[in-house]
Amino acid sequence: MKEAVLSRERFQRNLNTIIPITGLILLMIGLRMANPYFLASWDSVITLVYGMSFFLIAACGLTFVILMGSFDFSVPSVLKLSAMIFAVLYPSIGFLSIPVALAVSLVFGSVNGLLLARFNIPSFMATLATSMVAEGAAQVISGGYTRMITDPAFRSLSTTMIAGLPSIFYWAIAIWLISIFLTFATPFGRAIYAVGGNLVGARLAGINVKMVRILVFMLCSLFAGISGILYASQIQAGHMQVGVLDMIPLFASVVVGGTALTGGVGGVHRTLLGVLIIRWLDSGLSMIAIDLNVRMIVFGAIAIVMAILTIDRRRIKIMK
Amino acid sequence: MAIQNLLLEAKNISKTFDNVVRALDAVTIEVRKNEILSIVGENGAGKSTLMKILVGVYQPDSGELYYGGRRIPFPKNPIEALRRGITIVYQERGVIPHLKVYQFLFLGLEEKFTRLGRLQLEKIIGITKSVFDELGVRCDLGSYMYELPLSIQKMVEIARAILSIRLAIGGESSDITPIIILDEPTAPLSIEERDELFQYILSLKKNNSFIFVSHIIPEVMRSSDRIYVLRDGKLVAHHDLSIEKISEDQLFREIVGRVSYYELYAGHEYGIAEAKGKPIILSVRNLTKKGYYQDITFDVREGECIGLFGPAGCGKSEVAKTLYGELLADGGKIIVDNREVSIKGEPHSRLSRGIGYFSGETGKELFLYWPIKKNVSIVNFEKVVRRPLKIVSVISFKAEKILAEKIVKKLRIKAPSVEAECYSLSGGSKQKVSVGKWLERSPKILILEDPTIGIDVGAREDIYEVLLEMKKNGISLVLVSDDPKEYAILCDKVVLMRDGKLQKVYTNEDFRKVMEL
Repeated sequence: MKEAVLSRERFQRNLNTIIPITGLILLMIGLRMANPYFLASWDSVITLVYGMSFFLIAACGLTFVILMGSFDFSVPSVLKLSAMIFAVLYPSIGFLSIPVALAVSLVFGSVNGLLLARFNIPSFMATLATSMVAEGAAQVISGGYTRMITDPAFRSLSTTMIAGLPSIFYWAIAIWLISIFLTFATPFGRAIYAVGGNLVGARLAGINVKMVRILVFMLCSLFAGISGILYASQIQAGHMQVGVLDMIPLFASVVVGGTALTGGVGGVHRTLLGVLIIRWLDSGLSMIAIDLNVRMIVFGAIAIVMAILTIDRRRIKIMK
Repeated sequence: MAIQNLLLEAKNISKTFDNVVRALDAVTIEVRKNEILSIVGENGAGKSTLMKILVGVYQPDSGELYYGGRRIPFPKNPIEALRRGITIVYQERGVIPHLKVYQFLFLGLEEKFTRLGRLQLEKIIGITKSVFDELGVRCDLGSYMYELPLSIQKMVEIARAILSIRLAIGGESSDITPIIILDEPTAPLSIEERDELFQYILSLKKNNSFIFVSHIIPEVMRSSDRIYVLRDGKLVAHHDLSIEKISEDQLFREIVGRVSYYELYAGHEYGIAEAKGKPIILSVRNLTKKGYYQDITFDVREGECIGLFGPAGCGKSEVAKTLYGELLADGGKIIVDNREVSIKGEPHSRLSRGIGYFSGETGKELFLYWPIKKNVSIVNFEKVVRRPLKIVSVISFKAEKILAEKIVKKLRIKAPSVEAECYSLSGGSKQKVSVGKWLERSPKILILEDPTIGIDVGAREDIYEVLLEMKKNGISLVLVSDDPKEYAILCDKVVLMRDGKLQKVYTNEDFRKVMEL
């Protein structure tokens, strides 16, 4: 009994790895066939890198939260708020606006964490509410219109070319690598998996669950904040286009990578795959002239399918 | 046996899972009218598989089923089994706490009592009353299930099983004797509650047959008419207690197929620490939680084991939970190593002061989808972490592996390697991983809550060995359990609790005398 069951279980667990990789390869072939210009020139590679980098940073943060079995709706809104603070304050205080933007992001993260850890509000609820606050704050700060920044120094943060690739790419990869290191090689990372995998067990093993939760939400918002700053620098503006609508692709890229919504399974390393798939799909679909609304349908569907495939149903028999 | 007494006969039942492991190998059992039949065996002996075949959860690979002498097909699902008069009351999770008694009794049966979409509440309450009168269940119909004592909850579950069979068969056909399978029915109950439940089952025997699945030997001996012993999927013994007498130890040996722990720890081998002159590690002073326990005061010396003993509901497990920080006390003091510990603490702050916790509930504290090594290092980061830049802690995978290998070897855990994920291990091995991690951590005090519940006798011995070794190494233990023998084996002192208060402190010797061990 055991052998067969084990090999089957192993296969099912490896499904999380198999699906994204095959998906990525199929997607590459498909996009290439549909559009001969896809990844045909270095310029198109750079375009993709621009599309992916800020996204990857935010997705890494979200992965931490999902690994812990929680959820953070506020990522795109905090991203937007941070971008906005950076852009609005930049003309007066220059790069000092970066610590301000990050500090505000951290405040949002700690509020999210506290709402869950201290007041036991499910993170879905809590972060949905704080995302509204962040969204509104961004509107108030900007007065509702795009803040263009033409200062080249502002731009250079993300767009300085190093070895043929923009600096935002290196920022993103660095943050991705740090995230991998955090989750795999530190007690803190172990604690994240523990809280997501078996909350009672984590408590009994002496893990400070409240602290881990607060720290993880802070980390997530910090990454959202960094992402926002780099994104603002990349597009030379703080503007209102980013936002709640980006939540589903963001979430989709985490689950497509193979991190289960139930927590404890997956990892930041997988999120890179998910981001590649989602961003390629996005740019591919727009290249073959499918409009935004249809793309939303596609991402929604992908998110649902991947959530079904990756969720650990043995562990959660009834979802409330 | 006269043929009219024979109710159900399952012949030569075999079941293999995924073509690899034989869960049942040509097992034949018969169920007679109005009897209590016990099926005993270690975990994994095939008891549950056999029962699940009888109620249609599993299909056997081969075998025949006879009902009243006529051959019938195996039930394909529990509802079909119900129509044949067979049902099961599972060990746990059967009760829905926030339903009222009559709502729970009729859960899933409402359809039959609905007119024009409206539930006929009066009728349901009426039937509940008459069924409870008939079966002798005494409780307030309007109370919620969670408000009832556990033993009454179990009785309501049994009543529900009988009622479901009656309704499934239809009419007042009293010629059918329901067969009720009780899967470890006494597991969560205290000793008094167990007696109460057995009285109840005995009183129902005149109209029903019971199959009692258990591994608690004294209970089985006391209540059964006949006993089947399963081991490794095979039927190894059958005893008809009306015509033969067997001893508990004989039954034990048949179940495990080797020496029982009764013998291992008999007489002088009880591990008593010489703790007299050792320093006091844990002092509990006037610990109080309203409604649970009052004025609990005791001391534990280095390397000493104190048992909190008493019937379920006496407050012993609440005291244990308070000690490791799961439950908050209202007042009193907990002093570790002459320094007071905040009574408002969480488990992590208690652990940092040296209070660890180990429970026998597999899966509770284990990370089942983690390899053994990660389960070991989760409380042993200090041993596996390196600090190359002083500020960042990095887990050394090599140290982690070595640490886990040491424990696997020491506790004789059967696993292909320390990379094996814990869900693939047997129940006993899981428990060993759980307890093994503490062996390395060596907390000052380890709180044990039912450390060997639900594991087989062999694994039990190994766990006791580990715990006794911890004592030798100077770790103090606080034990809460349901098994008096466990106290006799592990404890130097046993504190008797009743109604949330300390009654008496026994030495190990006195305790064994009182318990006749």
